[in-house]
Amino acid sequence: MKISFTINGTQRSVDIADENTPLLWVIRDMLDLKGTKFGCGKAACGACTIHVDGQAIRSCSYAVKFAQGKQITTIEGLGSEDDPHPVQQAWIEEIVPQCGYCQPGFMMATAALLEQVPDPTDEDIDKNIVNVCRCATYYRMRKAIHRAAELKGRSSNTINS
Amino acid sequence: MGKKKISRRKFLVRGGLGTIGMLALGTYVLRNPIRRKLLDFVNSADLPYQGSGMEPMVWFEVSKDNTIILHSPKVEMGQGTFTSLAQMAADELEVNMNQIEVVHAATTTGSIDALSTGGSTSVSSLWQPLRELAATMREMIKNEAAKKLGAEANSLHLKDGVISSGDKQLTYAEAVADITEWEVPDTPPLKEIKHYKYVGKPIPRIDLNAKVFGDPIFGIDAEMPNMLYGAVVRPTRIGSKFVSADTVAAENMPGVVKIVKEDDFVGVVASSYIEANNAKEAIEVTWEVEKDWQTSDIEAMMKVGNGNPMTIQKEGDEVGEGENVITAEFTSPIGAHAQMEPNGVLASVEGHKATIKISTQVVGMTRKEVATRLGLDEEDVNVIPTYLGGGFGRRLHTPHAVQAAVMSKAVRKPVKYYFTLKEEFQHDMFRPPTHHVLKATLKENGMIHAIEHHFSSGDVAIDSPLLPSVAHTIMGADIGAIRGGFCQYRAIPNIRSVSWHVTLPFATSWWRSLGLLANTFAWESFMDELALKAGKDPVTFRIAQAQDDKAGKRLKAVMEAAAEKAGYTDEVVNGRAMGFAASTDAGTPCAQVAEVSIEDGQIKVHKVTCAMDPGVAVNPDQVRAQCEGAIIMGMSAAMHEQMFVENGELRPVIYGPYDMALMKHAPKEIDVVLLQGIEKPGPVGEPPLGPIGAAVANAVFRLTGKRLRNMPLNLA
Amino acid sequence: MKRQTILLFTSALLIVGVLASNFTIGNAAYTTISNATFDAKVNEGNFNKMMDVLTHKRCVNCHPSDNIPKQGEDSHPHYFGMARGEDNHGYKATSCNTCHQSENNNYSGVPGAPEWSLAPASMMWEGLTRIEIAQSMMDPERNGARTPDETMHHLTEHELVLWAWEPGLNAEGVPREKPPVPKDEYIKAVKQWFADGAIIPESK
Repeated sequence: MKISFTINGTQRSVDIADENTPLLWVIRDMLDLKGTKFGCGKAACGACTIHVDGQAIRSCSYAVKFAQGKQITTIEGLGSEDDPHPVQQAWIEEIVPQCGYCQPGFMMATAALLEQVPDPTDEDIDKNIVNVCRCATYYRMRKAIHRAAELKGRSSNTINS
Repeated sequence: MGKKKISRRKFLVRGGLGTIGMLALGTYVLRNPIRRKLLDFVNSADLPYQGSGMEPMVWFEVSKDNTIILHSPKVEMGQGTFTSLAQMAADELEVNMNQIEVVHAATTTGSIDALSTGGSTSVSSLWQPLRELAATMREMIKNEAAKKLGAEANSLHLKDGVISSGDKQLTYAEAVADITEWEVPDTPPLKEIKHYKYVGKPIPRIDLNAKVFGDPIFGIDAEMPNMLYGAVVRPTRIGSKFVSADTVAAENMPGVVKIVKEDDFVGVVASSYIEANNAKEAIEVTWEVEKDWQTSDIEAMMKVGNGNPMTIQKEGDEVGEGENVITAEFTSPIGAHAQMEPNGVLASVEGHKATIKISTQVVGMTRKEVATRLGLDEEDVNVIPTYLGGGFGRRLHTPHAVQAAVMSKAVRKPVKYYFTLKEEFQHDMFRPPTHHVLKATLKENGMIHAIEHHFSSGDVAIDSPLLPSVAHTIMGADIGAIRGGFCQYRAIPNIRSVSWHVTLPFATSWWRSLGLLANTFAWESFMDELALKAGKDPVTFRIAQAQDDKAGKRLKAVMEAAAEKAGYTDEVVNGRAMGFAASTDAGTPCAQVAEVSIEDGQIKVHKVTCAMDPGVAVNPDQVRAQCEGAIIMGMSAAMHEQMFVENGELRPVIYGPYDMALMKHAPKEIDVVLLQGIEKPGPVGEPPLGPIGAAVANAVFRLTGKRLRNMPLNLA
Repeated sequence: MKRQTILLFTSALLIVGVLASNFTIGNAAYTTISNATFDAKVNEGNFNKMMDVLTHKRCVNCHPSDNIPKQGEDSHPHYFGMARGEDNHGYKATSCNTCHQSENNNYSGVPGAPEWSLAPASMMWEGLTRIEIAQSMMDPERNGARTPDETMHHLTEHELVLWAWEPGLNAEGVPREKPPVPKDEYIKAVKQWFADGAIIPESK
């Protein structure tokens, strides 16, 4: 079965026998984008979080067939070293990662949160950011999320004015 | 970390620390005088770092673009070692931080750590040798530059990887570009710490960009051309012995390339991860199980009084019996590592050579095991470590590397395989459960007269492939389980600590900080009980009973600093109470104050103040990061996590049911105070995990009058 | 499918021959249908079949009384603090659809169906008796202002309701428990119960 979608701004098609294969393995093993992580494969840890049409989606529980015609963003498409997303910029400023494995999932979840809730309260963060980090970088992540909201607010103000 | 082409014009310092050393220039053969020189260097240095002896090793490499590549024998698992090593090297090499690239040393070209990355020793053990290697390297570069520039070496000025003489300049790369021979000077004196530009500064982690932009740096990200995917059938019940496997159905599943049947495992190789695992599910394996273990069986085994005792600390008299003896018991449960990157490996076996890419903490052991199983020379097995998606002790055992290599050999293609989450949980090498009995008597002045700690633990170091089996015989006690088991208040006249050892029916092993977490929970909860009984505030009670030697003074200093910074009080203020606890781990003292309330019947930790004395903090920011992470991971273990044994299975097998601290549980404030009581770096990654469990429980007692003596802490 | 249902329903009406009267229980207005062939025992049998399903965890797990979805055969609170949120779909950025799609995903063991969400807060069933659930279900103030006919269609046709018989595999690859009554039997019983006047047997 052929499935076509846009991923990080590029139109891609994959030919896959099992259309129920979770998108995670298509992204990692067929499209060779390794930033999206396999953590549990059970939608329990959030390491595989991506955006599908702007919504945070855990790609290990998302059959590839649903991706047909969708706009997909992974950590590789969120921003770049030359043009980091405010969330990535904030993560760098706060020096958040330790082992780093869960961080792309957290950053994708945070980026989705800021689209819905531009200036999240601690409670908004507690409710929406429910990924798992074993290094327990939560303390810096919370600071980085607030900082990202600030950076994002600033950049959108610039655009508006 | 960019992908840089390694120039042919490079030089290598090959140093076989411990036994043999070599220095090579490009492809030039090593000369014996140089070997002896380095041997002497190594021999004269007080080296806790133990590199393996007979293999060629590489530390530094200068690439054409004047980048210095440091091949680290220690792996980066989040603890920030790469950054600290780069800081140390940059300062002695006289290069800019951004000119240093740190990579994992591969076994065929790099120094191989004889033991492991673990025990919080990476920076402390390399502090002396790495700086000396870097300083020696700098002198060698300088001497070569002197020849080229026709100037006295002493007259040259080195800065940011550039050598200047008057208005003439050479980069390091230019200076060493065409060298065929050189002299290795005596190890030059090291700089004074106060003159370092990078050591001691909060430099951003050098792997920050790779980790923020999603670079493929981890073990299970690795790929090779024509790679296939493997899966290995694993039993779900404790003590399962393989009897037979029916693989007929699996053989005809889509994508299956080969079923690999060995005496000790059955694997599947297929064209995708999903296909390999689908086929694995279709294999029917018969296992023989002698007993359906239950949690109650384990709890019954794990009691002080069972197994073999070993007195590890003995001062003065025993506590003895009597009405005035205060006693309390504590327990901790089975804990899982639950690191975020499941164990996995990519293996490629071609003829008599094997390449293994893997997240491992035991590079040398991984190599040895693969070589032994496949009958290869160790020199022909190249283990290329990757960044670890968490270590925590879980990657001190890598039998999956052997299985992947066997499968690769069978299909003559590279094979990658990684655990499912259920496999990860059920085949973890768990933190053993523990049981503690503490006893004490107080003097009339309220100070402790005698104190005794009996603790029972499953294996940590015993039977670990990391240590020779005679180690236990020689040491008499489990060197992992006893971490934190000692009484750290050595002014107390009468002390006993007794370690009881029980081997459980499932694998238990190294878990970040080993025995420290549970032992400190028991010790420091009990100290709190004694302080209250004596009518003393818990901080001065502890300080009064710490001894006056160096270790005691450092311990007192962190306790004073933590209490002062937190504004410690025994009073409940606005529904919040403070709890105090301290520990000394591998020489590093740490004290913490937890500020706690009860919300909706749950323990809520608002703020943790942490004072620690790790000696020289090579990177204070990353020392702080280790404290912050250890505090929350310790909270997770002390307040949430628990594995059960149900009908022979270790459960749960998924995040969620395996309850771990999430964002909402993390304290919103963590205040870290760093002291420096010694002139060298001490262990950092594990010590701050010690106090937190007791600190929280001690605060809960002040709030509720309820003494929580079992982990995970439960108010119900 | 739909046509077949209507036919069945129509024929059921024809068979019983209808006489309508009105009564109320609590705040709810019910239309009861009494007829010559009405058999209280049969009615109770149909009612019980329906309620055996509606009180099953596959249904009640998403009709919580505390705004927290339940999971699994033991109906434990949904892990990771997931809750109703403002629109029954969880929180703004981490919603039901972050993990749950329009079909079960058996690789991950995450269940899914069209319109996956919690039932509205007014439809809290958790902890209620079967009589109370039935009353709630028939009460327009609590059932989303559905007429009995609409309720009947919802119960027998809505894909999210019928998901209960195709609940997929759990995270360990084990099939989720289905309601104790086969789907066809349930649909037949529900229709008959409505056709017979949607009479809630008296509490015993």
